[in-house]
Amino acid sequence: MEKERTLWGEFIKGFITTNPLLVLMVGLCSSLAISTRVESCIFMGMAVIFVLTCSNIIISLIRNLIPDQIRIPIFIVVIASFVTIVDLTLKTIPAVYERLGVWIPLIVVNCIILARAEGYASSAKVSHAMMDGLGIGLGYTCVLLIMSVVRELFGTGKIVMFEHTIISLGTNKMPAILILFPGAFITFALLSALLQWYQQRRKPEIEGG
Amino acid sequence: MTRTILNLGLRLLVVCLVAAVGLGLTYTLVKNRIEEQDRKRRAEAAEAVLSAIEARPQEDLELTASLQERFADLIGVFEGLDASGDVIGYAFVLKSKGYNFITMAVGVDAEGKVTGIDIVTNEETPGLGAVAAEKPEFLGQFKGKGPEKLTLKVDVDAVSSATYTSRGITNGVNMALEVWKHLSNKGD
Repeated sequence: MEKERTLWGEFIKGFITTNPLLVLMVGLCSSLAISTRVESCIFMGMAVIFVLTCSNIIISLIRNLIPDQIRIPIFIVVIASFVTIVDLTLKTIPAVYERLGVWIPLIVVNCIILARAEGYASSAKVSHAMMDGLGIGLGYTCVLLIMSVVRELFGTGKIVMFEHTIISLGTNKMPAILILFPGAFITFALLSALLQWYQQRRKPEIEGG
Repeated sequence: MTRTILNLGLRLLVVCLVAAVGLGLTYTLVKNRIEEQDRKRRAEAAEAVLSAIEARPQEDLELTASLQERFADLIGVFEGLDASGDVIGYAFVLKSKGYNFITMAVGVDAEGKVTGIDIVTNEETPGLGAVAAEKPEFLGQFKGKGPEKLTLKVDVDAVSSATYTSRGITNGVNMALEVWKHLSNKGD
């Protein structure tokens, strides 16, 4: 990257230019599985932001102390520790935990987090690594929220959060396919296409045929 | 060569130690709250399923342990006591398999009739299987049935598009009835 790295630039790139889900297309399995409910996505998003930011900071802090040969085990230990902290904390809120279930422990092997540790935090300044974690984490959360709003609203006819119905279309004759896995793929593909279209329109010169 | 390996191993050890201490601390902080939540959820469910016969649930850990040898999916047994302290029913907390795991409480009275069902947790697909687990009309059908084994679509109607979950819940009730039979035979 030729340009000077600014903190804000590091933050914003996670949203659009290198959005983990829509552009890098990593960490998809959990997002497809849990985007059936808006409520779950909020907690999943918070968990990912926490783990990603904390592990980015720690790994960036100790980057000069980690020998190359054992960097991956060390990354995994750091990431797994933060994931376990989230897992234990969420267990005290059973209503949330029972929905997210297995996906919280699986954040350990979520490609987004290991990819950011290996590809970014291990060679960046602490402040940059932190902004990168926040940006990528928020980018992930935003996509998750959009997907879950579409799927929950049009798949079940209403959005229920914390046992209150927020929006209701007043019918439950909705296409259940949106709640199932095909619906996840369709919603995801449409979103990804939308982002591609938007970016190509903004920078027609890069397109190059 | 040996020195590098030792060096690497030591660094890894230090990282792991720091992580282990951090996790140990977190665990001690939340351990009691987690256990308390689990116990609370089970007790609430037992209370709910025994309310029909106005019995006060009392968790019996010894009984649970002895029954668990035979019924692996049994999580807890509550004795339903009346005002004078006699057992007039049981609430069984157990897990059953629908499309995923369903943890449920089943209340059974002295005649082996189901007094109520409460779903503690379910991992069923939201909008499909989960509909059955959250539907009072479906769960209410079990009330007063038993002690003979129940068959789905004969004794109780399944919820359409939630057949696996309906079956899972029926199996859970049958398991509770079986545990009840085991208990009452032993008493004779």
